[in-house]
Amino acid sequence: MKQIIYTEWLKVRNYRTFWVMLLLALVIIPAGNFMVADKLSGNMEQISKMLGNPFSFPDVWLTMASLNSYISALFGLLLIILVTNEYTYRTNRQNVIDGWERRQFVYAKLFWLVAISVLTLVVATISGALVGIIYGNKPFSLEGYHYMLYYFLQFNVMLTIALLIGVLVKRAGLAIVLFVAYNMMLDQLLSFIVKRNAGAIGGLLPLQSGDELLPFPLVGKMVSTGDQYEAYVYVTAMIAYIALGIYLVFRKILKSDL
Amino acid sequence: MQALSGVSFDVPAGSVFGVLGPNGSGKTTLLGIVTDVLKADTGSFTLFDKAPSAAERRQIGTLLETPNFYHYLSAYKNLEISAAIKQRGKDDIARVLEICGLTQRQHSAFKTYSLGMKQRLAIAAVLLGDPDVLILDEPTNGLDPSGIAEVRELVRKLADSGKTIILASHLLDEVEKVCTHVAILRSGQLLLSGPVHTVISRNDFVELSAADNTQLQAAMLRYPGCTGAEIQGNIVRAFFAESPDAAAINSYCAQQGIWLSYLQLRKKSLETAFLEITNIAAS
Repeated sequence: MKQIIYTEWLKVRNYRTFWVMLLLALVIIPAGNFMVADKLSGNMEQISKMLGNPFSFPDVWLTMASLNSYISALFGLLLIILVTNEYTYRTNRQNVIDGWERRQFVYAKLFWLVAISVLTLVVATISGALVGIIYGNKPFSLEGYHYMLYYFLQFNVMLTIALLIGVLVKRAGLAIVLFVAYNMMLDQLLSFIVKRNAGAIGGLLPLQSGDELLPFPLVGKMVSTGDQYEAYVYVTAMIAYIALGIYLVFRKILKSDL
Repeated sequence: MQALSGVSFDVPAGSVFGVLGPNGSGKTTLLGIVTDVLKADTGSFTLFDKAPSAAERRQIGTLLETPNFYHYLSAYKNLEISAAIKQRGKDDIARVLEICGLTQRQHSAFKTYSLGMKQRLAIAAVLLGDPDVLILDEPTNGLDPSGIAEVRELVRKLADSGKTIILASHLLDEVEKVCTHVAILRSGQLLLSGPVHTVISRNDFVELSAADNTQLQAAMLRYPGCTGAEIQGNIVRAFFAESPDAAAINSYCAQQGIWLSYLQLRKKSLETAFLEITNIAAS
């Protein structure tokens, strides 16, 4: 695995697009967190008397997790580019010809999935903690941090979808269009339709499962979201989606012609 | 669409093994299966007499079809990646770049390279780590005449140093000039395989002419080693199993009282030999 990570490092070390996108995606998290906290906390005095300050611990974790879940897509695009580059340059072939097992090629891309999601969780945690300390009025606490873990899980579902689309579609342009369409619209639209016709089961779509666990704090308290399963149902669904996605990626790469 | 069917042969260690066939005959498919980038529905193969795995592939330098490199990286950095996957050190990179004449441009991005330079880099990647077995699929693609000559010279040098080389090509003289063994494919079928001189046998023939060509034809048919003689226009063509000796033929005809007005040694063209092989197998 060390050798695979080293090889992946060699691929991106001098790849400017990768570094620009990564930096941009990482900067957007604290930038978004602080911008919202700064804008809202000025007008919040009345509301916070009634509902509590969403930027104080422990609520800040849910607030930031919910906010971050709207700006995850950029990381998905980054992963799609890393995957489809290999198909564009046909280096997926060359890597195997030169001496990787096909599954090692999958490990290489799963490494990025894990690396990006862990890095994002770390940045989101630090950013959320700073917002809580600066804009909140309660001492630091990890109570409610499980919302960040829900966000982390949803983030992994999103990256798994990006990986799967990249591997199946192979072309960067089309893969990005499909991913953005699903991420921005299709998942929510399908969920809305199913919810309307069949009830809470509509909340079990891949990305919606995470959204069900991350209601925007104030809205969530004021508007009842209606039927919902217990949290563990959504968590299980997300883990199942990740497992299914990774299984399909392995299947595609192990079985098909490169 | 079935690309290959019933193709079976061995590549002897130390041989330069040509895989010959027209475009679309299945050469790249065959090599793609051996390098695990294509999946065969049935059949099997071994590498170094072992079940094939990535460890065996790392011992083989392979150029399959096109040079595949990261466009945004330089030649040197691309070779670093190849070396990392082959689990070899970086110390061989300078040597292979020098052999392929890319030392000057080694730090330029791959995307700025000409077609010929890309092909040279692919050959450099093949040579990386000095593997004992090389697979070269159309290695002279995109090269200019001097580049083609250099690659041929390189293949010959590698063969002389005892490497086993599998060379796929649709260029007949390329195969005949460097190969010791050959397999001929057509439409996914193996037509023939074996040592190159038995597979592509190009029997010599002589063209003769005399005052009475009918008498000359009859005389030639009696000549030892002559397998056939035919009259074409005002010339007699006589065919032989072994290389004929023009002086002996001249003397023989004189003894028979036939004075030759024309005598020329000829060789069957490679194209004719190849077409004969493919047509015989087809009929």
